[in-house]
Amino acid sequence: MRAIRPSAGLIRFVAGLVAAVLLPVLPAAAQSFRVQCPTSTITHPVAANNNAEPLYRGPTTFTPGPNSFLTPATNVNGAIRCQQISGGDGYATMADGTQTYMFAFGPLSGLADIAAGRPGSEFPSVFNTVYPGILAPGDPATSDNTSAGSFTYNGAIGLAPDGDNGNAIDGHVDPRQIEDVGVMNGNIPAPLMAIDEDDEFFLTLTNVGMIMRPDLFEQHTVHFHGYPNASSFYDGVPDASVAINIGGSFTYYYLAPDAGTYFWHCHITPPEHLQMGMVGQIYVRPRQNRVPLGTPLYTALQWQEGDLRTACSPANDILCTNPLPAVDTGRAQADDSHTSTDRPYRYAYNDGDGTTRYDIGYAMQIHGFDPNFHFIGMTFNAEPFVDMKDKYFLLNGRSYPDTVTPGPMQTPSSDGAHHFSQPLPTIVNIPLGGRALLRISDLDVTEYQTLASLGIPMLVIARNAKLLRDQAGNNMYYKSNSITLGGGESLDVILDASDTTKYTAGSTFFLYTPNLDHLSNDAENFGGLMTEVHICSGTVDPAPKACT
Amino acid sequence: MLITQLKEWTERLLPVALASLLCAAAQAAAPGITGAPGTPAFNLIAEPANINQPDGNQVYSWGYGCNPASPAPGFVPAAITNAKCPSMQIPGPTLVVTEGDTVTVNLTNNLPTAAGNTSILFPGFQVTSSGGTPGLLTQEAAPGGTVTYTFTATSPGTRTYYSGTQGDLQIEMGLYGVIIVLPKNVPAACTSGLHAANLAAEQFHGEKDFRLAAAAYDNPKTCYDREYLFQFSTIDPTIHQAALAQVNALVGCVAGAPGCSLQVPTEPYHPAYFLINGRSMPDDMDPNYAPEYPNQPYNGDPHVHPGEQLLLRIVGQDHWQHPFHEHANHVRILARDGNLILSQVPGSNPAAVDPNDLAGPALFTTTTTPGLAMDGIFYWTGRGLNWDAYGHNPKSTDPLATLSCTPDANGYNTGFASTDTTYSGPANTAVWDAVNYYEWCADHDKPLEAAPVGDVASGGPATLPNPNILTNGAWYSGSPYLGPDATVRATGPNSSFQPANTQANPADERGFAYMWHSHNEREITTNNVFPGGMFMILLVDSREFVIDESK
Repeated sequence: MRAIRPSAGLIRFVAGLVAAVLLPVLPAAAQSFRVQCPTSTITHPVAANNNAEPLYRGPTTFTPGPNSFLTPATNVNGAIRCQQISGGDGYATMADGTQTYMFAFGPLSGLADIAAGRPGSEFPSVFNTVYPGILAPGDPATSDNTSAGSFTYNGAIGLAPDGDNGNAIDGHVDPRQIEDVGVMNGNIPAPLMAIDEDDEFFLTLTNVGMIMRPDLFEQHTVHFHGYPNASSFYDGVPDASVAINIGGSFTYYYLAPDAGTYFWHCHITPPEHLQMGMVGQIYVRPRQNRVPLGTPLYTALQWQEGDLRTACSPANDILCTNPLPAVDTGRAQADDSHTSTDRPYRYAYNDGDGTTRYDIGYAMQIHGFDPNFHFIGMTFNAEPFVDMKDKYFLLNGRSYPDTVTPGPMQTPSSDGAHHFSQPLPTIVNIPLGGRALLRISDLDVTEYQTLASLGIPMLVIARNAKLLRDQAGNNMYYKSNSITLGGGESLDVILDASDTTKYTAGSTFFLYTPNLDHLSNDAENFGGLMTEVHICSGTVDPAPKACT
Repeated sequence: MLITQLKEWTERLLPVALASLLCAAAQAAAPGITGAPGTPAFNLIAEPANINQPDGNQVYSWGYGCNPASPAPGFVPAAITNAKCPSMQIPGPTLVVTEGDTVTVNLTNNLPTAAGNTSILFPGFQVTSSGGTPGLLTQEAAPGGTVTYTFTATSPGTRTYYSGTQGDLQIEMGLYGVIIVLPKNVPAACTSGLHAANLAAEQFHGEKDFRLAAAAYDNPKTCYDREYLFQFSTIDPTIHQAALAQVNALVGCVAGAPGCSLQVPTEPYHPAYFLINGRSMPDDMDPNYAPEYPNQPYNGDPHVHPGEQLLLRIVGQDHWQHPFHEHANHVRILARDGNLILSQVPGSNPAAVDPNDLAGPALFTTTTTPGLAMDGIFYWTGRGLNWDAYGHNPKSTDPLATLSCTPDANGYNTGFASTDTTYSGPANTAVWDAVNYYEWCADHDKPLEAAPVGDVASGGPATLPNPNILTNGAWYSGSPYLGPDATVRATGPNSSFQPANTQANPADERGFAYMWHSHNEREITTNNVFPGGMFMILLVDSREFVIDESK
């Protein structure tokens, strides 16, 4: 028998391969999983002030600091927010009962808030809290939430005292907890994020790997879609910057951009990762929300001219879309007799005239799943992009009638453990005589989708996170009973139910798609992109968004 | 990405991709052809030819081109090199005329006889036609024949032109193009103040002016510093194959005789190629007039410097909509099909009353619509990042790390007095020539990193992870910072690239890279393979890098 000897060429090749693999190895400077949530920064220097939104009493003024850059002197606005998400996989339940495999992001902080349908963007005092017990593997929000609200922990999963740093809470994490909780905890849509203008936002993406696809070495990223004047480093396009390998954490750093409805998604192989479910929502609330009671909104918008970063002058900036309104309505913060459960008022944009005021807001993301593609994505086959065809048409990851099922939906994962897979119902409850803001975004990857309102007209106030206002200050809002979006677009709509003779207590209206073939759940000729609008007999509790 | 796909990509696309990347970085412009001042005449011809796709396929197509029997046209912008106008190209030649011109287009039909008549529609103009034969929508050129269209270029803007004959087939086959009308009177604001400074900064670094004009319209709010034209279209290869098979079967048939026509089904429509300016990624990143694409002369490779106002001319040339997403900032829509969108009612706020006020939306996703052309303005300045994008470090010994930043009235380092927005005094060359011209001064010297390893300021909010947990993209600059000097300071001369990293963003560039693409994400594929399709990279370059759009 002839011995099989490797050729000299093969030896050289292997030696070269080994060298190529070894060369880039640097001394380990940091652990791979870690979170970041500073309690204070240059922009927010006093730690004690960064755990709540201070009132907006005027523009921030700056003075040169000891290291030559500007530091805030008066009116430090905004606070610090932090969030951790996993990049991995999971299952979701479609409205026909099918369990669908996803590449997905899941919550690794703010778990109680996410399970309750709230954003998981937390202040440092909440994020930097170590869980006082042992987190149950799987999704602790489902397994510990045997009675509603019993799981209240919103800190960063894995956070642990750093033994190398005097047991400080410095972002050191126990990777075991992260894998215990983060594996197979994907959500559709991905964890909700919400920040306020002037906030600094530290968003940690932790890549836990995709346990159903051990053949894949997928990186993930976060693309904050629509962030104006973005840096490419934090833009999340792997071709244009960096992507995060399995076993690593990367903290994206943003100063909150102008108020508006944005969204976010992974940017790795977008036709695949977006179709597979790596899509989420983020919105930025305006500083007008934080104006003290009784302050004229027009005046407050003029204050913003005092800081060049927040100023908006059409004469100097062609992308300015919220200049002073042409008509000063004289509206002040919460100055009329309208009953609202959570004063001061909330606004979608810095309008200066109160026209974007709303009582209750709903984030609503349109998406589509092609079950064939998801099956292929689970089973190691070549993916067809030309033939991609959505068969599930989703509002916040659910099709009708699941859209009107209250509370989070859960799906068993491959080990039988239940995980919250679709935390967001899309029941639009409007207080009697009130106004609901719909923050609608679309991340469908195959086709345009139309959403129509059967009943209350849609007042379109903004498009692509920009107020619809011309350079002369005229509001360009328009009423419609339908809106059409392609993937990568967003708009803001107000459903104005203030006419209580038309929109009476207890009445139900519908949001549905007139793309009638999208009113289906795969083979079921029923369901799809549809949900209900309820007029409450009283107010709406802002937390569960239920009629009271 | 699936392993199988990766393998496929490597085998089929990588050689092309690498060829593309190894080319000197290409840049874009909006090149086109011109005629006699005041009375331009364009002698076009419709012809078949194959066009190249990055998977190696040659797609049989029809396109407009310059009639080789006629004198060659003029080419613009003047700074563009290697310009040519083949007898068939996709998209068709971009016709560049001036407001008020009397435009003549002589179209000769050199399509296969079985393809029948052809024609051109110029939506937005009052067209008079002569010669040819009557068609449903306009006069047509019979096989071998010629038709003449004449119209006055009444108002500025970007508009599409395309076949008015059997459009579902002929436009799919490639018979479309763009006509750009330049404003007759460029507002003074476009050649003074900040726009003059932007031009002076370009010229200091040896850059040529690649604009067709300094304004898109007779309106001072439409001034711009750089411009690109992007035409979006799709190809369903089965239609093209069927057309070719029928053409071959009907060779020698007599025009107009029974049976001498094509019966190609155009529905159901199943496109596999998603094109910008007739090319799929990565071919769109090769230069204008690159010899590899004899019938696809126009590219899609935008570059811009901070602060420059970038005019985008965006055109939908197929029968689908494409949500074109511009990373990095919004785009203010100026006009649709050459119609400026202005404020209808002057506001009662006295400071805002200006008849030139714009009313088009600002969008981060500009949906292309079949047959629609829109003009918009984009810029990038880094305002609001809250850290110094140039990685300045006042403690450094590198002179480029210790540049100063003097804010103008808007907060930018432009050399204008902070109280005077209409400054037109002598050139402030010290600022205009600086690498950080147009820096956002409020963040000057402000650190990003808490404890950086390199020569950039420390004490910032963020800690970057070990580079080993990251994978670098081909267009990654190598650091979070803008420009070669900042990147070298931040990472050392060897940078943080992994040894095997392919670098499309060369060492003398290190710009901020952004993906500009269709957000119906399956359209950034080429015949089932990712990446490809409607996918470009915008590079925002610091002033150190010379943008040469003739490449």
